Amino acid sequence: MMRHNVPADFEPKIIGFLCNWCSYAGADKAGTAQLAYPPNIHVVRVMCSGRVDPQFVLQAYHKGADGVLILACHPGDCHYKEGNYRTAQRNRLLKLLLGQFGIEEERCRFDYVSAGEGDRFARIVTEMVESLRLLGPFATNHHRKEA
Amino acid sequence: MRVGVYFCNCGTNIAGKINPEQVKAQLRDMPEVDYFETCGFLCSEDGKRFLAEDIRSKEPDRVVIAACSPRDHEANFMRVLENAGLNPYLFQMANIREQVAWVTTDPERALSKGVSAIRSAIARVRLHEPLEKQKLDIVPDVLVIGAGPAGLKAALALAAADRRVVLVEKDPVIGGKPVRYEELFPAMECAPCMLEPLMGDVFHGEHADRVELLTQTEVVEVTGYYGNFIVKLRQQSRHVDPVQCIGCGECVAACPASAPNEFNCGMSERKGIDFPFAGALPYAPYLDHQTCTRKNRGDECRLCKDACPLGPDIIDLDAGELVKERNVGAIVVATGSGLYDCSALPNLGYGRLPDVYTSYEFERILSSTGPTGGELVTKEGKLPGSVAIIHCVGSLNETHRPYCSGVCCQYAFKFDHLLRSRFPDIRITHLYRQLVLPGKDGTSLYREAVTSHAVDLIRYENISDISLYSCNSGNGGTIISTGQQNKLNADLVILCTAMIAAPGADTLAEVLDVSRDRWGFFEELHGRLDAAQSKLKGVYLAGTCQAPMDIQQAMQQGMAAAGYVLAGLVPGRKLEIEPITAAVQTDRCGGCRVCVAVCPYKATGFDEESRKSAVNPVLCHGCGTCVAACPAGAMEGHHFTSAEITAELEEALG
Repeated sequence: MMRHNVPADFEPKIIGFLCNWCSYAGADKAGTAQLAYPPNIHVVRVMCSGRVDPQFVLQAYHKGADGVLILACHPGDCHYKEGNYRTAQRNRLLKLLLGQFGIEEERCRFDYVSAGEGDRFARIVTEMVESLRLLGPFATNHHRKEA
Repeated sequence: MRVGVYFCNCGTNIAGKINPEQVKAQLRDMPEVDYFETCGFLCSEDGKRFLAEDIRSKEPDRVVIAACSPRDHEANFMRVLENAGLNPYLFQMANIREQVAWVTTDPERALSKGVSAIRSAIARVRLHEPLEKQKLDIVPDVLVIGAGPAGLKAALALAAADRRVVLVEKDPVIGGKPVRYEELFPAMECAPCMLEPLMGDVFHGEHADRVELLTQTEVVEVTGYYGNFIVKLRQQSRHVDPVQCIGCGECVAACPASAPNEFNCGMSERKGIDFPFAGALPYAPYLDHQTCTRKNRGDECRLCKDACPLGPDIIDLDAGELVKERNVGAIVVATGSGLYDCSALPNLGYGRLPDVYTSYEFERILSSTGPTGGELVTKEGKLPGSVAIIHCVGSLNETHRPYCSGVCCQYAFKFDHLLRSRFPDIRITHLYRQLVLPGKDGTSLYREAVTSHAVDLIRYENISDISLYSCNSGNGGTIISTGQQNKLNADLVILCTAMIAAPGADTLAEVLDVSRDRWGFFEELHGRLDAAQSKLKGVYLAGTCQAPMDIQQAMQQGMAAAGYVLAGLVPGRKLEIEPITAAVQTDRCGGCRVCVAVCPYKATGFDEESRKSAVNPVLCHGCGTCVAACPAGAMEGHHFTSAEITAELEEALG
């Protein structure tokens, strides 16, 4: 959904839920490789992506996030065997729910990043920031802060 | 609430991008921030000393360290906190190096992202609870299930480290499958001779007094958990005292009953009281009461007992089974594997044609302790002139097993070597789907075979293209059609069948409450990191019960399993349980059991009496999957509570 009147200085805010063993380590890897990416993400470290309660995602929007990123270990690589599958299952339902609320698909991204994939992490964040820039602020689109 | 904030400059790594003074200024509106200190290198010995002394003197309620990734130094700083008298969980790191300073080009935006990270950590740490590691007494003794190569290796290693080991074996003989083979790939080593020192050590080695070997025994019940299992073992009676028996065999000669010998795949007969095979250890016959006429016909036969030259006390005809209970801290599963059922491939004629054998049957035929004493003749009594060896039977095939067992090609070329050395005029044809010969010695027998004029190799696409039928010449033999290829004759056919889960693995998995993979093998915790650990803490896996593998790998996995036990259960040391686990708030639990269903470690259980779930912290790995799954919000994840996570993200969104 393209939005009109996106302020020129709009900087999207992203909350990223990253599992400790793969994705968080992947984000650290981007750091050690000194790969620059937009600073629009705040990373919340969880032990496993399976800990990501869909409620956190809704709370993030409610508190002003423009996008939420959930990153897990690649299928078969989960430190806890199957937490990432649970997350993938929940994410499918969450997507349906967000759609019913009229929340654009681009605002919630679920992906896999391994501990070695610093470049992939940086790319995903960059892509998401770009797509959110086009989409505009969550608050404007959904009149959250009208009151 | 007083929070102390430490900002690590990390030389210029952080401070070169983020100015600590500006950070400090942007924390002023947070009343709980009691002080803000900077340090050049907080992880250095000087830095840690400063941190400890500063915490001791300022006595903050909570600490935030803005520095590198928690994956680098969180554990170090936690130890410093603990030594300084602060509960190490009243602490949060803000990763402003890997995830801010090093990845943000614009210094102004690096500053604001860094500040946001630190403020979020402060918001979060306010809610942190002091957590304590639970300390439990442990039993250092170990149950090893299965006395094949992997189990023997594990048991002896554990005994050498002064552990008491209960080694149970369901058969009356130890040594697993390889002890029944004549020679082994790649170096044609005598299998029983190779295993003899290991088996001998179980009976009279330096540490034998610490190994309790129980043959004809199965595990029937396991309760408790890592560090403290109670196992119930059911032992069939051997009816012969294996310690006093000298193995003379007088009782065997006297026995009037007989049955097909399962240790020779039914290819020979054994007596009601007999050795499984010559040289089998323990060196004493066993009485199979199913075969014994006392059971069969209810008679009062006591010919074996009377024949015993050592007197009437060696054979006990009326002994019943025994149930024994043992207390162990860990369990090593080393129950081996089975062979794919060739009747699922009727085109290969197994069971229908006379001279078609599985590889295991063929091993027994080659063995000097086997049904023919090692002599190889066809059912017609001829020496074999041509042999076909069919590889990948049941393997590398989606309708059977898609995996490769990894050992068949090598033993197939071992058969090849043995056949050519015994019968110089023999012709051998290998029919294979794929040749897989891993390892530094993997190709030695293969290279020898392919340079021989007596050996042909034919690749087939699908095992279903092959059909075997009987020669109608009256001289026996089998005709093999391989689809487009010409037909070929073989006096003898060997089927190299896929390695599969052992019969009985399902029952044992249920007793132990450990999971199996989709092929029925015991499932490892992690394929690369922890292949010798099951998903249930304290239950370790060794050998082909976990995956197809060769003897070398099985022995190594036996050692690996022993290593896990020795590293995890140390006498005199208590078992420390990480406090980052899930816990049920019972007043909120509705008893839906979603948490039980999602736990990959069986750490969540359901109490039938209270109709509530409960988490066993010994088994919980702290992933938090159950916490997110609980529809009632009754499950809480220590150190990753919903309130803590929410506080963090709310502050980040400012």
